[in-house]
Amino acid sequence: MKKDSIAYVVLFTFVACAAFIAPLALANEFTKPRVEANRLFATHSAVLRAFGIAYADPADAEAKYASLVRPEGSGTDAPPYRATIEGIPCVAVRRTGSGLWGSITMIVAADERGERLRGVEILDQVETPGLGGRIDEPWFKEQFRGELLGPDGLGLDQSGGSGKGDPDKENARVDGVTGASRTSDFVRIIVNGAIAEIKAAGGAK
Amino acid sequence: MKGKNAAIMKEGLWTNNPIFVQVLGICSTLAVTNNVRNTLIMALGVTFATAFGSLTLSAIKNLIPRKVRMIVQVLVLSFYVILVDIVLRAYAPAISKQLGPYVGLIITNCILMGRAEAYAAANKPWPSFVDGVANGLGYGAVLTAIAVAREFLGFGSVLGLRLVGDWFTPWTIMIMAPSAFFLVALALWGSKSLGARAEAKKKAAKAAAGAPAPAAKS
Amino acid sequence: MPEAPLVSPLVLFFASILTSNILLSNFLGTCSFIAISKDWKSSFGLGLAVTFVIGLCAGICWAVLYLVVIPLGIEYLSFVIFIIVIAAVVQVLEMVIDRFSPSLYMSLGIFLPLITVNCAVLGAVLFMQIRKYDFIQSIAFGFGSGAGWWLAIMLLAAIRKRIENNPVPAGLKGTGITLITIGFMAMAFIGFSGMIAVQ
Repeated sequence: MKKDSIAYVVLFTFVACAAFIAPLALANEFTKPRVEANRLFATHSAVLRAFGIAYADPADAEAKYASLVRPEGSGTDAPPYRATIEGIPCVAVRRTGSGLWGSITMIVAADERGERLRGVEILDQVETPGLGGRIDEPWFKEQFRGELLGPDGLGLDQSGGSGKGDPDKENARVDGVTGASRTSDFVRIIVNGAIAEIKAAGGAK
Repeated sequence: MKGKNAAIMKEGLWTNNPIFVQVLGICSTLAVTNNVRNTLIMALGVTFATAFGSLTLSAIKNLIPRKVRMIVQVLVLSFYVILVDIVLRAYAPAISKQLGPYVGLIITNCILMGRAEAYAAANKPWPSFVDGVANGLGYGAVLTAIAVAREFLGFGSVLGLRLVGDWFTPWTIMIMAPSAFFLVALALWGSKSLGARAEAKKKAAKAAAGAPAPAAKS
Repeated sequence: MPEAPLVSPLVLFFASILTSNILLSNFLGTCSFIAISKDWKSSFGLGLAVTFVIGLCAGICWAVLYLVVIPLGIEYLSFVIFIIVIAAVVQVLEMVIDRFSPSLYMSLGIFLPLITVNCAVLGAVLFMQIRKYDFIQSIAFGFGSGAGWWLAIMLLAAIRKRIENNPVPAGLKGTGITLITIGFMAMAFIGFSGMIAVQ
């Protein structure tokens, strides 16, 4: 067969496509359970971190999630989640809100009356790396841990601060990320929305 | 054989470094250089895809009909990039998430296509593979150096390890886009000046020995 | 269909031109950017072509993704499918322009093949996928990203013309000084952030 004949070109393209796509399909099938497990683990561990439950490794995290956290919805990872921590009944919800570039999905945990935050965790965000993306850094998220909530929920200080977060747990305020005031404000809106959800879920019980 | 491979390695790593000399492929990877770990992963991904892509394309080059050469090249290179993506998603989900679209963008990294066209299309599979590795590493080395500078100045850490005390004020600009352009330019400047000096020295030595100066290598 | 983020398309359009320029803050399309920006006229042509192709590809890839790829469950092949769609769009565009406007083809035609491997196009499409934009948002984001790239290359071409005759250290000539210029432009564009209110 001549190399530039139509038949050869078609045959070659077909064989090449099949030869390269088949292994990919196999690899994809092979890793599917792992990817799914990763996805579940991402949610479970985020809920644990939001509640402030420490875990040693993924197996420990799954065990603690199964024993301490009670998801209320259907399935093992549907919100709201309930857990009793240090004797205080707490609720965590998953909330998605608008960010600068796309959606931000967070897990927010607080006591069931919505008076004090347990913590927050970011499940998914597509903000600018190095700017808005820094909302996923520990110093930013740790500010929320144990923060008292005012009647209007949580406030935000945009003036920059120390860059290490607001250490005062009683002022119902956190510091924004320098250079990413809009993203920080979106986080505040999501957290406050989540607190309203927690209050509703807590009262409904 | 060994000497030849070493020569190909040196070519990719220094004399014909993809970033300094060919100015290729800075687009898709520069974005992740504010974090050393992500940069290393991306550099490995690029090296893997370039090396195996070149190997495969060189091995089947006589079978590829001219009309569909481009599309077959894209297919083969995408194959390896998708493989990288699948592996990352299954075994390093956190990194995969942080890299976001940039893993897929390795496909359009000019180095892959550039090496496939410039080297693999005219050489045997094994040297093509070595050439791919060399170019990937040469590229990765420069980017890693830039990432070390950016992460250190921007966060005070390297690979997530804090190297300086609390007194250090992070240079926020280093985390943002402009600093990457400046650092690449500085690295380019340095390498060009070094290259020019070496060239001048060689010429001077040759002239002193009474030999005719060689024609400047382009 | 996934839940689309609540970002207005108009805002997305302007934000992708100014505050998060695909080239200046995401580094996409730098290779052809540096190569072509020597010349003002070519920059104009390439910018126009890129804008069109990104806008079209964002729309078409959106349709392919949500109507074909996801229903078939072959998301893992999306990279290669996008590349093929982009190559096909470029090819068709080339034929259409050649057929209907030979003068435009003369000024634009040579740039079209360059666009297939321009990472800005694939980049915009991948961002569209990851950020789960809906159809209108995708098109707004696509045209916005293209227009942002266009604006950036025109600005750079104009600046490079000025730099040409200035004394630049030998080692920085050409690419070096161009990269530094792009760095300054990127810094200037950061100033736009916060200007556009995303509601």
